[in-house]
Amino acid sequence: MSENDPTGPVAAGGELSRRRFVLRSLATLGGAIAAALGLPVLAFGSAHAWQWTEEAPAELIETSVPPTLQSDAQTPVGKLLDFEVGIPRYVVVDRPVVDGWVRADAPIGVYVVRKSDTEAVVFDPHCTHLGCPLAATPGSNAFVCPCHGGSFDTNGDVTSGPPPHPMFRYEVRIDGGDVVIGALQSEV
Amino acid sequence: MGRIGRWFDERLQLSSLFSSFVDRKVPGNIGWFQTLGSATLFLLVVQIVTGIALTLSYAPTPSDAYQSVLYIDSTPFGALVRGIHHWSAGLLVLFIGLHTLRVFIWGAHRYPRELTWVIGALLFLIVLGFAFTGYLLPWDQKAYWATVVGTNIAGAAPFIGDSVLALLRGGEQLGATTLARFYGIHVWVLPASLLILVGIHLFAVIRQGIAASPRRKPIVAPAPGLSRREAYEREYAAEKTAGKPFWHALIKDGIVAVILLVVIFALALGPGAPLDARADPNSTNFVPRPEWYFLDLFQLLWYFTGDQEPLLIFLVFTVAAAIFVLVPFLDRGSARHPLRRPFAMAFTGAVVLGVVGLTYLGATATPAGQVNVPATAGMTSTQLSGLGVYNSSGCTSCHQIHGLGGHTGPDLSKAGFRWEAADIKQQLVTPKDAKMPSYSGLSGQQLSDLLEYLTGLK
Repeated sequence: MSENDPTGPVAAGGELSRRRFVLRSLATLGGAIAAALGLPVLAFGSAHAWQWTEEAPAELIETSVPPTLQSDAQTPVGKLLDFEVGIPRYVVVDRPVVDGWVRADAPIGVYVVRKSDTEAVVFDPHCTHLGCPLAATPGSNAFVCPCHGGSFDTNGDVTSGPPPHPMFRYEVRIDGGDVVIGALQSEV
Repeated sequence: MGRIGRWFDERLQLSSLFSSFVDRKVPGNIGWFQTLGSATLFLLVVQIVTGIALTLSYAPTPSDAYQSVLYIDSTPFGALVRGIHHWSAGLLVLFIGLHTLRVFIWGAHRYPRELTWVIGALLFLIVLGFAFTGYLLPWDQKAYWATVVGTNIAGAAPFIGDSVLALLRGGEQLGATTLARFYGIHVWVLPASLLILVGIHLFAVIRQGIAASPRRKPIVAPAPGLSRREAYEREYAAEKTAGKPFWHALIKDGIVAVILLVVIFALALGPGAPLDARADPNSTNFVPRPEWYFLDLFQLLWYFTGDQEPLLIFLVFTVAAAIFVLVPFLDRGSARHPLRRPFAMAFTGAVVLGVVGLTYLGATATPAGQVNVPATAGMTSTQLSGLGVYNSSGCTSCHQIHGLGGHTGPDLSKAGFRWEAADIKQQLVTPKDAKMPSYSGLSGQQLSDLLEYLTGLK
């Protein structure tokens, strides 16, 4: 601020430099107060973006496209031999999930496709494009997305439309005739 | 002024301030189009008032949100207040868009009102943020799935997508943290930003004065040798001399506000605010569709697939928003009349056509997987199973047969008449057209059945 500053007080050198010192100190103090309050507020508000799911087990899926609440519990979804070979069937099972502060058994829907007498694949029922719900119309052998026309075959591979990945699958093991799912996998 | 009025005025000294506000001269040629800004302000006030009322009975958790909205609707005047909030929100998006369009066509974003535009453009983006976050709060089917899609669009951005998505959802999943976060953003973060920016916007409008409608011939003959500031001040002073007091213009603003209020009440009392079934993350037959003001963006996503998508997100959402905010620094020059800015007007026309066209396409698009082309009499069993393959493989997403299906690809109603079987087969297995996905994954039997069906269409 120059000494000719018309907005400043008409004062001799000593008074002016004291004024400048006080105003600058107050501005610095204001900045420090704003930072002391603002940094923790911003850090808390954005914590989810830089601190990845503290609760979730390490094996969970890396992509966040499916909105499915995730769990690494071992959950039986039905007897393998009760499923028809090659025909997708929609099953909803209760799984223990952590949703923020909520810990509950939530119903989770999956598509089960039996491949043979010893093998089955279990898919997450959401399109890999933008997460819309995939429909398997009765009698069809495809999963079709109502949003942008994506479709998948019963191997979960993309047959048309914009989806960038095959369908997301669950870890599957057959245990005493039961199809048992674990965590959702990012890569097949 | 009565005795009570004088008592207050002697203490608050408001009458001189009030008079300098309503009696100040504004350009004489401002008219109905200039009411769009005040209409936008009016709708914002309606949103704030009804929004505050709604928070009194709303609970932002997945287990309670939907029930609390049902409770609001069952409380006296609750459905009306929610209806007003819903319909006024849609009108707000419409009117802030029209206001922006009017300002650009009138060239009112030019010197010395560049900053007013920048703030206004940020306000436009904030209003869209309001729409996006407010949408989820009822926790119904439409809300849930629109948010699944919306957050995933943001998550597809290159490099920062995952962080943006985690920031929006409050984690990787869509659940309790997402709803709490959207609520906090909707009722605190955005309103606080909005009030600050609206304050600056209105302050600038009042300090600069309302821009005169552009004239083909300047109101005063240009004088040589003046600086830009001097020339502007000379012209604006002439506009004000020939102008009218601000309260004249307020008459039209008042009329528009009353009409808007009547329309909002009619919509709130008539159709009311919609409420779908409670959000069900496990439903597989729901067809997600956004509210009309996001249909254009939703429709745009049809045309970009796979690897191109992050590029689209980046271009449309980031670059377009930046261009929009920075318009005054890109569309420069002294001529304000639209007829003297043919390029800017052609560009505006293209953008408006694009938005309206995409919205129309999005509104009328047949959802894939929901259409089944029916069998017709006389079909062979092979053709019937081919039709099954056709219906179940997503063909209806892009192709029409007898009026059923999408519009992206060619109409196949007369496929057998238009193309040879070998050509159709090639197009199915190794498509020449990039938009057509390969169906090489079909079994030999499925492929031959499908071909039998398609070649039979004549």
